[in-house]
Amino acid sequence: MFFDLDFALKSFPEVLGGVPMTLLVTATSILLGFALGFLIYSLQARKRRWLTALCRLYVSVVRGTPLLVQLYIVYFAVPPLLHTLSQRYGLPLKVADIPPLAYALTAFTINTSAYMSELIRSALSSVEAGQMEAAQSVGMSAWQSYRLIILPQAFVEAIPNIGNMFLGLIKGTSLVYTVKLVEVMARAKVLAAYGLRYIEVYLVASLIYWGLSICFEILFKKLEQVLRVGSRKLKAI
Amino acid sequence: MEHFVSVFPYIFSALPLTLFMMLASLLAGAALGLLFALIRIRRLPVLRQGATVLISFIRGTPPLVQLFLVFYGLPKIVELFGLNINNWDKVVFSIITFSFIGGAYYSEMFRSAYQAVPTAQTEAALSVGLTGWSSFYHIILPQTFAILLPLLGNSVTNVLKETSLAFTIGVSDIMGKAQLEIGRTYGVAALQTYLEVSLIYWLICLAVGKGVILLEEIFKKGHTGLA
Repeated sequence: MFFDLDFALKSFPEVLGGVPMTLLVTATSILLGFALGFLIYSLQARKRRWLTALCRLYVSVVRGTPLLVQLYIVYFAVPPLLHTLSQRYGLPLKVADIPPLAYALTAFTINTSAYMSELIRSALSSVEAGQMEAAQSVGMSAWQSYRLIILPQAFVEAIPNIGNMFLGLIKGTSLVYTVKLVEVMARAKVLAAYGLRYIEVYLVASLIYWGLSICFEILFKKLEQVLRVGSRKLKAI
Repeated sequence: MEHFVSVFPYIFSALPLTLFMMLASLLAGAALGLLFALIRIRRLPVLRQGATVLISFIRGTPPLVQLFLVFYGLPKIVELFGLNINNWDKVVFSIITFSFIGGAYYSEMFRSAYQAVPTAQTEAALSVGLTGWSSFYHIILPQTFAILLPLLGNSVTNVLKETSLAFTIGVSDIMGKAQLEIGRTYGVAALQTYLEVSLIYWLICLAVGKGVILLEEIFKKGHTGLA
């Protein structure tokens, strides 16, 4: 038989069960990646030459290597590192206790942070310098003008890019089966090998990813629309 | 460290294959992208809706899943037409997948770059007596290309990084050789091997970045802004 619809329908709920894990990895890495990315951005903005060079190198390496390779490096680098640490300082850490989720989140956070630092820079630079001057001229402190004037505007500018990054990460999570984390793709692989029905199961998986992507695309569009409210053009009368 | 040096030639020997996959996918992807862009700019009925759905699907699903779909699905589909492609090289399936992925992204780039060139340019070209084709070829195309150039670097490096997935269907590119080596040595030097792999990818990305900057310098020549 060319296409076993029955098998596809039966495997749908099983593969769908991986969605929470996919979303958990995506959302957590976006948040952690934002924090680390902001740190990198602020270090870079310090204008210390060696710090800037170091941050640039980090961003360049992370952007210049495949996510899959990064995932493998974390997977093979963390255990010996942890082993050495626990031996030297007598910490009660066992390599075998590291959950697969930890590897996935570490790698994805590193990957996201590099792109995020660039995103933060472009979002902040999209706000005109005049906004800062205006805020300070009405007596706001630097922190106030950032919090009340600059950041809200920068955030709206950043939303489309954050959305793209989010969608990219959803797709990227299809790689985490390599570190034995069970999400949509891992479930699909197991089912496909078990029933020897590759097309059916991978089609199901792709439909699930597609659905997720479309949903989040709409969500981010709506979010942008809602937040852009403040920047509506003033009417003359 | 010793291992780091001794494995390097072995992995490095797969570099031509990785570069070949990258270039072939880029070229075929550019052709597909042009086709998709043309369909959408010209608003051809039926084809346009088809292209829109296909592009949405490609952009909304992981490259890995698409690779598996092409690898397992394509032979079965062409089987319906009485063709047997089961013995095709796995590299071909990888290139087909990466070309379609590229095509989906490039078509958007092409379309927006084409539409960013003001219509007045065509009007001006026609008014001085150029034919439709030559106004496109001499006036519109160079400007479109100049707009596209900064985006080119990103798409080349994206394709390069995508090719690292090809080992999952058994292609022995850089990543595939690394996997083989790690399997052969029972994972003793896995970390060093992957670091080597990432070094190679990174260096290619740096080279691509430099290349694009050079191209930009060359193509900026003709462009003088109003200011």
